[in-house]
Amino acid sequence: MDKQHYLMNAGIPLQIEASMPIPWSSDQSFFNPNSSVDHHFDSDAFALRHLIGKLDRSSPAALPSLAADPGFAERAAKFSCFGSRSFNGRTSSPPGSATPGQSMVALPRVASSPSLKLNGSPPPRNRKLPGSGANSNEESSVSEQIPSGETGSNSRKRKSASRGKNKDHRSNSPKEAEEDENLKRSKQTENCENEQECNENKTNQKPPEPPKDYIHVRARRGQATDSHSLAERVRREKISERMKLLQDLVPGCNKVTGKALMLDEIINYVQSLQRQVEFLSMKLASVNPDMENLLSKDMYQQSTSLPQQMYPLDSSSPAYYHHHQNVQQQQLHSTNISSVDPLPLDASLGIQIDGFAQNLPQQFPAFTEDDLHSIVQMGFIHNTVQNQTSNMKVEL
Amino acid sequence: MQNSSSSSSLMVKQEFFTKWKKGLKIYSAFNKEMTIMERKRAIKLSADVAIASTRSATTQWSRAVVAEVSSSAAGAARIAAEEILGRKLSTERRKAQAGKKIVRRRRKAAARGAVRSSAAAVAKKVVRNRRRVLKRLIPGWKKLDEICLIKETLDYIASLQVQVDVMRHLANAGETLHHQQILL
Repeated sequence: MDKQHYLMNAGIPLQIEASMPIPWSSDQSFFNPNSSVDHHFDSDAFALRHLIGKLDRSSPAALPSLAADPGFAERAAKFSCFGSRSFNGRTSSPPGSATPGQSMVALPRVASSPSLKLNGSPPPRNRKLPGSGANSNEESSVSEQIPSGETGSNSRKRKSASRGKNKDHRSNSPKEAEEDENLKRSKQTENCENEQECNENKTNQKPPEPPKDYIHVRARRGQATDSHSLAERVRREKISERMKLLQDLVPGCNKVTGKALMLDEIINYVQSLQRQVEFLSMKLASVNPDMENLLSKDMYQQSTSLPQQMYPLDSSSPAYYHHHQNVQQQQLHSTNISSVDPLPLDASLGIQIDGFAQNLPQQFPAFTEDDLHSIVQMGFIHNTVQNQTSNMKVEL
Repeated sequence: MQNSSSSSSLMVKQEFFTKWKKGLKIYSAFNKEMTIMERKRAIKLSADVAIASTRSATTQWSRAVVAEVSSSAAGAARIAAEEILGRKLSTERRKAQAGKKIVRRRRKAAARGAVRSSAAAVAKKVVRNRRRVLKRLIPGWKKLDEICLIKETLDYIASLQVQVDVMRHLANAGETLHHQQILL
């Protein structure tokens, strides 16, 4: 499922870009709390998609594609550390007390996320840190995007109200002092790669003015607040967030915990995929005496307009049967064939293979039922898939 | 949701498939008779360029694949790759990549001293080694730093899955056809 999400995203990079030509300009009003229309978008994830896409300027198509999927984006949102612009947009107009409260609201969601590995999160937040300067905060976490904060605010307001109030005191006083620093940093980040943005912007305060996009990071409670460790922490969180996504993509990785084992699995998987490509290309080279099969397929496909449906078929053999006579198909319903396919296939190449299959009569004598049955009996059957029957009917 | 995600992955697969066929067509136009190894190389190269082109040079690995092909390919391969990509390949080697430069940071840990045998340090070393191994698997690994590595791995794995899917289906179809040929 997740792999499909990823591929979905990868498949429509252009569409996404076309649909949001100026993502940030629309975001400005979105994040303005004073605007009556708080939610331009339907869901958090959609907004996150914009932010993710905007954030990674270096690969504009890859990351929007990567994160276009709502599920993916939601997961990434929990772990991600961007969204500063939302803060900046917020702090511009409203009174200072409102934003910290709201921004603090975002934090508990982040704080409760297991992936961020908050230290000292259980202890009560009302306690002030001994010896903490004016600039230090009681708790810190990666600031989340406002959309997620907003939607979660109603449920979380009570939980974080006290936290917010505590922050409030601290946030107001050093705000002006940090303003210049933030602006300077924001200018820096304009030129930086997005990967480094988190590291560069380790401000403890939201500036009152909306600088360009940069990442807010707060020092965690009980942690050192110097810039290096903050940057380290942000970097680590980013890495762990991405590792989680990898975990979803690589089959069999969910049971494994720990970076070393997971990396091991990933390495094995990548190697196996590469070897499979080699093997399959060799197999294809040996099966086709010439490329004529592929060429004829190509010609056929251009002449056919096949419907873009979802075929949860995961073998080519049933696809063959689709295009034969109805009589054959009726009989074939009872002999569903599917090849063993370890990878979960959401939509197979039904369309391509259908094109291929339809071309066969031109090259070979027409199939008869007996031929197909004999193929079946040759041991081609590995599994029978129930839903294939229904899909075959749909295709009719 | 399922439909949309499946349909878009289907789109990726179709895009890959058409590009791949394009490349193979060019190969077969060049020489009708190819040895099996030549065919295999042709298939693999076309597939690699096709799957890299589906990313439109947005990821590091796809750029690296294209760069590798453009520097080492000749004749039919080059033309096939150009056709798939829709553009001319740069023939001269690029001296300084405009992309990321990896700054080797002096490891402060080395300065910190001798407590190396602790469990955490050993674990860190293991993880670091594995990261290095993973890095070398991905095309264009020289330019990947740690954060990019994981992102590139994500993208690369997904693309490899698409490639393997398509190829496997094609191989199955071809095999079935072959068997039918035997029967008839």
